[in-house]
Amino acid sequence: MTDPTFNPFLGAQSQFDRIADLMGLDQSARELLRRPIHEHHFAIPIRMDDRQVRIFDGYRVVHNDARGPAWGGVRFHPQETPDTLRALAMWMTWKTAIVDIPLGGSMGGVVCDPHDLSRWEQEALCRAWVRRLARDLGPERDVVAPDIMTHGRHMIWMLDEFEAVHGGHRPGAITGKPVYAGGSQGRTEAAGYGLVYTLREALKELSLAPDRAVASVQGFGAVGRHAIDLLIRIGGTVRSVACLDRNTKTPATLIRQGGVDLEELQGFADSFGSVDCEKARTAGYDIKDGEAWLAEPVDIVIPAALENQINEGNVQAVAPSVKLIVEGANGPTSESAEATLKDRGVTVVPDLLANAGGVLCSYFEQIQAASNHYWTLAEVMSRLDHQLTSAFFEVGELSRTKGLTLRDAALVVGIDRVVSVSTDRGWV
Amino acid sequence: MTGVPVFGRSGDRDRPAVTRIGGGGLGGKAAGLYLIQEEVIPRIDADATLGFSIGVPPMVVLGTDVFDRFMADNRLWTLIASEPPDDRVALAFQRAEMPVEFVGDLRALAESMTTPLAVRSSSRLEDDLDHPFAGVYATKMVPNNAFSPDERFRSLVEAIKFVWASTFFASARSAVAAAGKAPRDEKMAVILQEVVGQRAGNRFYPCVSGVGRTYNFYPSGAAKPSDGVVNLALGLGRTIVDGGRSWGFSPALPKAPPPFNSVGELLKNTQIRFWAVNMGPAEVPDPLRETEYLIGAGLAEAEADGALRFLVSTYDAGSDRLDPGLGRHGPRALTFAPLVASRLIPFTDLMRQMLEASRQVLDQDVEIEFAVRLDRRHGLPADVGFLQVRPMRVVTEGIEVGEDLLDDPAAVIASTHVLGNGVEDGIRDVVFLDPDHFDPETTFDVAAELEGINRRLVAQDRPYILIGFGRWGTSDVRLGIPVTWGQISGAKVIVEATLPEVNTDLSQGSHFFHNVLGFRILYLSVEHDGPRPIDWAWLRSRPRVPGTERVIHCRTEQPLVVRVDGRNMRGVILR
Repeated sequence: MTDPTFNPFLGAQSQFDRIADLMGLDQSARELLRRPIHEHHFAIPIRMDDRQVRIFDGYRVVHNDARGPAWGGVRFHPQETPDTLRALAMWMTWKTAIVDIPLGGSMGGVVCDPHDLSRWEQEALCRAWVRRLARDLGPERDVVAPDIMTHGRHMIWMLDEFEAVHGGHRPGAITGKPVYAGGSQGRTEAAGYGLVYTLREALKELSLAPDRAVASVQGFGAVGRHAIDLLIRIGGTVRSVACLDRNTKTPATLIRQGGVDLEELQGFADSFGSVDCEKARTAGYDIKDGEAWLAEPVDIVIPAALENQINEGNVQAVAPSVKLIVEGANGPTSESAEATLKDRGVTVVPDLLANAGGVLCSYFEQIQAASNHYWTLAEVMSRLDHQLTSAFFEVGELSRTKGLTLRDAALVVGIDRVVSVSTDRGWV
Repeated sequence: MTGVPVFGRSGDRDRPAVTRIGGGGLGGKAAGLYLIQEEVIPRIDADATLGFSIGVPPMVVLGTDVFDRFMADNRLWTLIASEPPDDRVALAFQRAEMPVEFVGDLRALAESMTTPLAVRSSSRLEDDLDHPFAGVYATKMVPNNAFSPDERFRSLVEAIKFVWASTFFASARSAVAAAGKAPRDEKMAVILQEVVGQRAGNRFYPCVSGVGRTYNFYPSGAAKPSDGVVNLALGLGRTIVDGGRSWGFSPALPKAPPPFNSVGELLKNTQIRFWAVNMGPAEVPDPLRETEYLIGAGLAEAEADGALRFLVSTYDAGSDRLDPGLGRHGPRALTFAPLVASRLIPFTDLMRQMLEASRQVLDQDVEIEFAVRLDRRHGLPADVGFLQVRPMRVVTEGIEVGEDLLDDPAAVIASTHVLGNGVEDGIRDVVFLDPDHFDPETTFDVAAELEGINRRLVAQDRPYILIGFGRWGTSDVRLGIPVTWGQISGAKVIVEATLPEVNTDLSQGSHFFHNVLGFRILYLSVEHDGPRPIDWAWLRSRPRVPGTERVIHCRTEQPLVVRVDGRNMRGVILR
């Protein structure tokens, strides 16, 4: 689903440069913030189930930790690249600053396809990745969370390995753990629900009632599923969902005019979000190609899979009815595509705001771990909603008063906070 | 929900007085409050009520959609179907999760408000003229003054869940069943409303709370029924609506002498304790208890708080009379005389205006609830919180009971103190308390035993006549039987008798009273020392159905005939 010619880090840097010009940042701040503060690239040898040794590429990139320990996901993806991780780490720095939590930004990954790995191979990979980084991870340095194709069980293996290396219990080192293993209520739902909290506020500004809004979603992983769940709960309709066909391993779009039935669709899906399209077809869904989701005549488009999914090449396919794009994935809309959408009057709620629910909930998980106390789901979600909505108000206000897009306004808010701390620390 | 604006998180200062979170219905109480805000208050003449600022205290309504979602998400209907005991219901609701789509607004509310909140039920069936459910469901007050918004949010959510849980408490289930409805017919909106009052130490309460009615079933002296009646109390309105002691007067004749034979009797029968929100630490933290954040206090505390200046008279032993105000030392009596009889404070004008405006808007007789925050030194300016308006059933035509019928040899019970109007001629079940073995110390146990008998009779679809002592439905165990409406919901005829040790007046302001009227229950009151005592011997000799330790249940061979003439205030039960 990723365009191999697209370099997200160059995109992130170009985006930063533009905002830096807008803010009039000095040279030292620009130099510090347009690149990672440190990176790890390493080889991970794993003895596979067939007793052969296979070497995987592993990475961890810390963009900035001026505001607090770095925080970022770890992705298992066959098309992972260092530049993707650099861009994502930078965006994470801005994101934690925009929602105003005391964390920096990082990102890590392993080039692999977990579909092709056994449970034991995945565990070995998780443990080896942590062993290589153990000195530089931890609640005071760099906190790990699940991302694409990693989930709670991977986090438990990572935490176990981390604690084995360091001794004692350090539950705040790894977030996104299952609730029964020291995780937070709502962690699985946080990114998707958080997306809908911001979507809800955006709808208010567009004077569009949720119960009259129809959406098309790309991605059926944790973000996509939970976004669909909450969007339906507040009255919305999701007409189409794009995901990976479990049988053909190619992208497909599932469409039902009256709206998808989430529970039914989940019955056809695996834990990575791939769907058995044949079963879906039998259940009455129209199955179209993987690009069809973008052309659906809906009000809202939610790209919640990979980066650069709406780009110069396909932005014209976005249906004229679309009023709102809410980014569930990181960097799913290219700069040029966003410019086109802006000209068409489409509001884009940027990833930096819309998918900040995950990092917020991880931060909540750290607080709970530090105090050895658990919050109820209502406590977690109320904080999440309140914090994201407050961030939306702040960004929205700046957007209105300065005539900026929501993305640019969010970036100004985030970068300004990082620059302020970096300045006070004497880094720039 | 038409017309009620959505709760907004930004611009707290500009937020309308009535907003909503979630969709669906508002429930009877919230709809009434919205009506007050939009239609009743604009009709009140500001010039005639100078110094009073009248409004609906700021409130947010959680629509019935939120309740529906909570029930569905947590699969609580399955639990309810098994009719578990109240504490199980309350616990299950506390453990259930609030729907995630609404918690952000609740948190924003908790973040932005730090004054005490009343978390009030507002059900679909509540305040329906034909099936009133006044007082059946819980209201929980929360101090909402914790420094941490987390703690305020938690208390608020606990209170909401408690009110929802009260929808399915045994007494509520009985009331719903008696109205011919199923539990799933009920939908519960919840009102989160600022409490009207002032803080003094750890107590927060209004100087005056009250209930007014445009029709007075028991006018005394020169007052006419259509003059209406107002009952006042110090502190939270719980005192009145739960049948505690209050001060009643006719707004048309505010200076009329009170219906007591002596000052001593007056002192004995006026309010001496009041309810307040506890702003200090809860004595026993217990989210499963409705009164978790309430405290009681006496007149001495209220006087120390400076709350009594306009509310009491002082007994002068030398002249054996009461003087309005706190001018001298002596026992205080809550007569509200300085307020009601004041020429400077147009309080009775305010009462008349509020009642008349409400009657005009609803186009029928009404009952209203309110609370007043007086300037404790000068009386005015004062804030009046309009808390409720509900229609009131007044039926005075149709049945005639002559004086001679009261003395008919077939009369088991005859009364000149009745409520309602009508005939019941098919009832054979009589549930009564034995006057020879009645112990006022055991009234809570009596209430519990009545609940069991009521449940059995409701299930068998056998309406019954209920005879007891003191004020039915009071929360003050010394004044009568502290039943909730649901505990006796199957009674079609209720008799209130007095005993030498239990001798109180009917409370016109209580929720219980409202339900008696609304459910068209025939109500007779008989004094133990009156000319026509109850024929206990005949009742005792009827065939018994297994009852309980303190409650007798008999079934007559032939149906009894009950005739009540509300217009002429006569009623009789004939064998």
